[in-house]
Amino acid sequence: MLSRVADSLYWMSRYTERAEHTARLIAVKLESMVDQTPEDAAASWARVTEALTGEKREASHDAFAITQYLAFDRDNDTSLINSLAAARDNARQVREALSNEVWENLNRLYLRMSPVTIDSIWVHTPARLFREALEEMHALEGVTYSTLSHGEGWYFLELGRHIERVQQLGRLLDLHFSAAAQNSESGPKYFDWLVLLKFCTAWEPYTKRYTASIRPQKIAEFLLFDPEFPHSICFSVDRMTEALARVAPGAPPARRAAVERLAGRLKAAVDFGQVDELMAGGVAPFIADITKQCEQIHKALYSSYITYGAETVL
Amino acid sequence: MQHEAFANTEDFGGPDIVAGPGRVSRPGADAPYTGYELGKPYDEMFTREGKARAPYAALDSRLSTLPLEELNRRQQACEQSFLHQGITFTVYNDNRATERIIPTDLLPRIVTAKEWDRIERGLTQRILALNLFLRDIYGDSRVLKDGVVPRSMIYGSKHYRREMRGLPVPHGAYVNICGSDLVRNEAGDFVVLEDNLRVPSGVSYMLANRDAVRRAFPAVFRSMGVRPIEHYPLELLATLRSLVPFHEDVSIAILTPGVFNSAYFEHAFLARQMGVELVEGHDLLVNDNVVYTRTTSGLKRIDVIYRRIDDDFVDPLIFREDSALGVPGLFNAYRAGNVMIANALGTGVADDKAVYAYVPRLIRYYLAEEPILDNVETFLCREEKSLSHVLANLDKLVVKAVSESGGYGMLVGPHASQAEREDFAQKIKSDPENYIAQPTIQLSTAPTFIGSGVEARHVDLRPFILHGAETKIVPGALTRVALKRGSLVVNSSQGGGSKDTWVLSQ
Repeated sequence: MLSRVADSLYWMSRYTERAEHTARLIAVKLESMVDQTPEDAAASWARVTEALTGEKREASHDAFAITQYLAFDRDNDTSLINSLAAARDNARQVREALSNEVWENLNRLYLRMSPVTIDSIWVHTPARLFREALEEMHALEGVTYSTLSHGEGWYFLELGRHIERVQQLGRLLDLHFSAAAQNSESGPKYFDWLVLLKFCTAWEPYTKRYTASIRPQKIAEFLLFDPEFPHSICFSVDRMTEALARVAPGAPPARRAAVERLAGRLKAAVDFGQVDELMAGGVAPFIADITKQCEQIHKALYSSYITYGAETVL
Repeated sequence: MQHEAFANTEDFGGPDIVAGPGRVSRPGADAPYTGYELGKPYDEMFTREGKARAPYAALDSRLSTLPLEELNRRQQACEQSFLHQGITFTVYNDNRATERIIPTDLLPRIVTAKEWDRIERGLTQRILALNLFLRDIYGDSRVLKDGVVPRSMIYGSKHYRREMRGLPVPHGAYVNICGSDLVRNEAGDFVVLEDNLRVPSGVSYMLANRDAVRRAFPAVFRSMGVRPIEHYPLELLATLRSLVPFHEDVSIAILTPGVFNSAYFEHAFLARQMGVELVEGHDLLVNDNVVYTRTTSGLKRIDVIYRRIDDDFVDPLIFREDSALGVPGLFNAYRAGNVMIANALGTGVADDKAVYAYVPRLIRYYLAEEPILDNVETFLCREEKSLSHVLANLDKLVVKAVSESGGYGMLVGPHASQAEREDFAQKIKSDPENYIAQPTIQLSTAPTFIGSGVEARHVDLRPFILHGAETKIVPGALTRVALKRGSLVVNSSQGGGSKDTWVLSQ
C-alpha cells in the first residue's frame, strides 16, 4: 500500500472517530442538561468543552453558544463540522482505496451537516440532529466493515480509530477523575458519573456488568480495563496491537520491531493494570502514561512505514 | 417477493413504456418543445420540416408523454447522484470553496451506426497519421526535408521537446490516449475541430453520464440497441500494458497533480476501475534511473505511468524547475527505457492550431489516403494568400493564436467591435505565423431539458481514442452542450454541461 494512502486512511479514520465522539458528547449533554441545576450543567459543559477542544474555559450557562462553538464553528479546529470536513478531505484523497459505499456515506453526511446552523436546530429538540449524525456514522462504520477488504488499508483505519479513541476517552476520564480528586463544589456528582457512562455509550453495558449501582471506581475499572466493551481503553489497545501486526507485511524486520515493541509495552501496561492500585495513586498519571505511549506509537508508525527516508532502503 | 423487487429496480425512475406512434409533437408548437427553435444549424433530433428523425422517434414519443414534473424529478435524481458520488469541481470565491457539479443533461444524444462507422474509421486514420508524424519529427524529419510542413513551425513550437529526439517509443505510439473534438456542420457532416494529444479529460463523464441517463430512461435505452462503453477502463489498461510487451507482471500508476485538480475525480475513478495505483509526484522517486513508489512495506518499482500532468511539470530537472507536481529524474529513467510514460512527452507539438491545418496533408503524405473526416476550413496567416483573405474578412472569421488554448488570444470577428478588430489586425500583421483563422462554425443543436421544457442547444462530440499495440475506440463519446440559449461555448468552465451519447448498433 502506498505510504500516502496509508496516511490518509489513518487520518480519515481518526477524524471520523473524533466527529463521532463530538456528536455523542453534544447529544448526551443536550439531553441531560434539563435534569441538572444550572451550576452543575455549567460545570459539566465546561468539562465537555475542555475534553473536546483541549482548552480550559470559564464555566458558562450559555448552552446555545457552546453548542455553536463545538458543533458548527468553522474557526474551531476541533468542531464537529471541521472534523467531518477533514475526514472527507482525507477520504477524497484516497477515493480509489475506498468502496463507493464508504465514500458516498461519508460524503452524504458531510453535505447534510454542512449547511446546518445552530439557529435552525435550536427551536425544537436540538439533540435530534446529533443523534441523526450518529446514526449516519454508525452506518458508515457498518459499510466500512462490510464493503472494504479487511486488508492493510482496513487495518490503518482501525489504527486511526482506536488511537483516537484512547486519546479522547483518556481525556474525558482524566477530567472527571481529576475534578473528583479535588473534592470541590463543582466536582462530579452522582448524575455526572451516569452521564460519563452515557458519553461513552457505556451505561447499559456497565449495568449489565456491575448492576445499576454507580461507583467511580467501578466506572474506572470498566472504562479502562474491560476487555469486551468497545469503548474501553483495554479494548482499543487490543485492536491497535492486532492492527499493528497486520500492516506493512513486507517491511524489513528492524523497522517492524520498532513499532511492535512499543505496542507490546502498551498492551502489558493495560493488561496488568489494577484498578485498586490506580485509585490510590490516581487515575490521572496512569492515563497520562497511556496517552504518551500512544503518541510514541503514532510517531514510530510514521517513521517506520510512511515518512521513512528513501536512502534507508536503497 | 423477490421478483417484484427486481422489477422495481428495472424500472427505476418510474414507468417508462415506449409509446407507439400516435401523437406527433412539433418543435416550436407543442409541449414539451414549445421553446424549441430550429434555425440554420443542423439539428440532431428534428429535420428542417420539424419532423423527428428516425433514431429519435422512441425518445420523442417518450418525451411527449412524460409530465414536466417527472422530467424535473429525474433530472434532480441525476444531479443528486453526481453530488453524492463527488463528481464535482471546486470553485474558489472569497476564500470559500464551493463544490459544483458539471451539469448533465438528461436527454441522450444519438449517433447512428453508419455515422459512427465513419467517425471510427476517420479517427483511426487520423491517429495513425499523427503518430507517424510525431515519430518522424523526433526522428528523421522526412516531412520537413520534403517541405510538406515548414521547419520553423515545428522547431519554433514551444511544445516541441528537443529532449525526445532519437528516443524510440513502443509501437511508435506517442499518443496513447487521445480525445478529439468533432462538430457537425450545417450539412450534417462531422468534421474535426481539434485533436487533444496531451492529457485529454472527460472520459469519466462519458461513463458517469451513461450510468445516470440509462437509469432515467431504462425502457427507451433497452429498446434502442445502444452499444456498451463500460469496457473503456479495460481497454485503457490493455493499452497501457501493451507499452511493456515482454513483462508478465506490469505495475502501472496514474500520476495525478492531486486533489485540487479539477479532473481529480477522473484520475481516482480510472485508478479504481483499472485497479492500478493513483500516485502524486511526491509518492515517486527515482534511483539509478529506476522509478519507485514509496509503500508501507518499502519501495516498489513502477513500469508504466499514465500521467495526467503536462509535459512542463513532469520533471523539474529537465523541464520547469519550479514544478512541485513532477518527479526529479523521471525523464532520465524514461530515456533509459526503465519506465514508459503515456502519453509520450512532446506530443503537444502535433495538436497546436497550425499543425491542425496540415493534418489532411499529413494523412495523404504518410498513408497515401484521402482523409475520411474533414477539418474545419482553416486559413494559415503564415501563407500570404490566406493572410490577405483573413485581414479582409475579419468580421466573418474567428482568429486564434496557435499556441494558446481555452479561449485565450482569440478574436471572434462577428462579435467584436471595429476597434477590437483593428487592434487584432495589427497583432496578426506583426506576427502572422502565430495566427490562424476559421469561419465561425455553426455547431449542431440537440434537444436539451431546461426545466420548463425541451429546447435546442449547441453540442459538440468528443470520442476517446486508445492507441498502443492496436487502435481502439470505445463506441461512445462525451457530448458537451452549451446550456445558455444561443451560446456556442461548450467548455465546462463557461456554463457548459454534458450529455450521454448513444451509439446505436444498427
